[in-house]
Amino acid sequence: MSKARKVLSRIKSVQSTRQITKTMEMVAAAKIKRAQTRIESARPYALKMIDVLHNVSQYVGSGSHPLLEVHENIENVVIVPITSNRGLCGAFNMNILRQSEALFRKEREQGRNVSFVGVGRKGVSYLRFAGYSLLASYIEFTDNPTFTDAKLVTDRLIEMYQEGTIDKVYIVFNHFKSVMEQKPTIHQLLPIRREEIEGEADNEANKILKAKYEFEPEAELVLFELLPRYVETVVLRALMESVASEYAARRAAMKAATDNAGEMIENLTRWYNRARQAQITQEIAEIVGGANALQEA
Amino acid sequence: MANRKLFCEVVSPERIVYSGEADMVVAHGIEGELGIMPQHIPIVTPLEIGELRVKNDDGQVYIAACGGYLEFRDDKLTVLADAAEVSSQIDVARAEAKRLEREKEVAEAKASGEKLLEAEISLRKALLRLRVAQRD
Repeated sequence: MSKARKVLSRIKSVQSTRQITKTMEMVAAAKIKRAQTRIESARPYALKMIDVLHNVSQYVGSGSHPLLEVHENIENVVIVPITSNRGLCGAFNMNILRQSEALFRKEREQGRNVSFVGVGRKGVSYLRFAGYSLLASYIEFTDNPTFTDAKLVTDRLIEMYQEGTIDKVYIVFNHFKSVMEQKPTIHQLLPIRREEIEGEADNEANKILKAKYEFEPEAELVLFELLPRYVETVVLRALMESVASEYAARRAAMKAATDNAGEMIENLTRWYNRARQAQITQEIAEIVGGANALQEA
Repeated sequence: MANRKLFCEVVSPERIVYSGEADMVVAHGIEGELGIMPQHIPIVTPLEIGELRVKNDDGQVYIAACGGYLEFRDDKLTVLADAAEVSSQIDVARAEAKRLEREKEVAEAKASGEKLLEAEISLRKALLRLRVAQRD
């Protein structure tokens, strides 16, 4: 009977676990929505930014800005994996880190020095544990990433890129495709890829429009100010997508956990009932046996 | 001509702050104040930390815009601000508290000689928000 009692207490414990996972699932589901709205409301800024960049970049010759310039010898590469601060979100962080490590190996094979800038507690502690070289780590971002957060990450990278101490920067983040699908994505942050900001080829209409533009001050200066801001916008977007993805991943993980707990409770309950039944049967058999023995005596 | 309007949109990285039709928009560019009316020549300019005045049929809307860009083209004006707030959304008491806080920071920065520029910029933003808030 002691085994049955153990099973009973196990059922209770699984039940309370299920309650927790169920709550987390619902909390995450509610937060996805908010994170999604945030992405939506940040979109106009990013679109307008690219729009302005398209127009401005057409005035300025190629390679005229250090952030657009491709360094001749690529020696130092930085990878920025964006992970979450908290766990219990399935393969969310592992996907990012695995992608980052694959990228690390690929760059390493070409004889480049690769270092990391960690964003998110989970990523930072993994990278530290695995002994990679960490240039910087940011673990204090909330689930409402701001422009200031993005700036914190990019300022140093931009500075280093302009000094020539680093030659290439990638960010790796979970792209929020839908509630059901988050895709780990590698994006080249620096140098900024020309095709990203230049848009479609100049057609006749564009040229006419171009001729009329006026800049205050010169176009080069405007571009100079715009490009770092563009990099910040890209990072901010990645941070926001990562937050939405984190909640989506957590919701999925917690849903799976809740389902598993339900299944487990079912199996354990079945086992417990069977054991109880068996015991009752046995007791009856014993009583009947005892009574028979008494009668015979 | 008189009823020709321009469409003005002010966006910050987090959201759309203001969007609507206007007869004229006055902004602080880094080269000085500039007023933009419909059919202005296409223009791009960075902005100072300054007030944005949008004149429309209902009067004027004041917006505190901290840095960023202004683009105008085809009667569409876009302001990409680092941070922006419409006067009616600013809480005066909070803005005042922030100003005092920033002033203290500047005083501290002056004493220590560090981060003075950052502190002064923050103070200017706080002052701007307060001034814009008091427009209402």
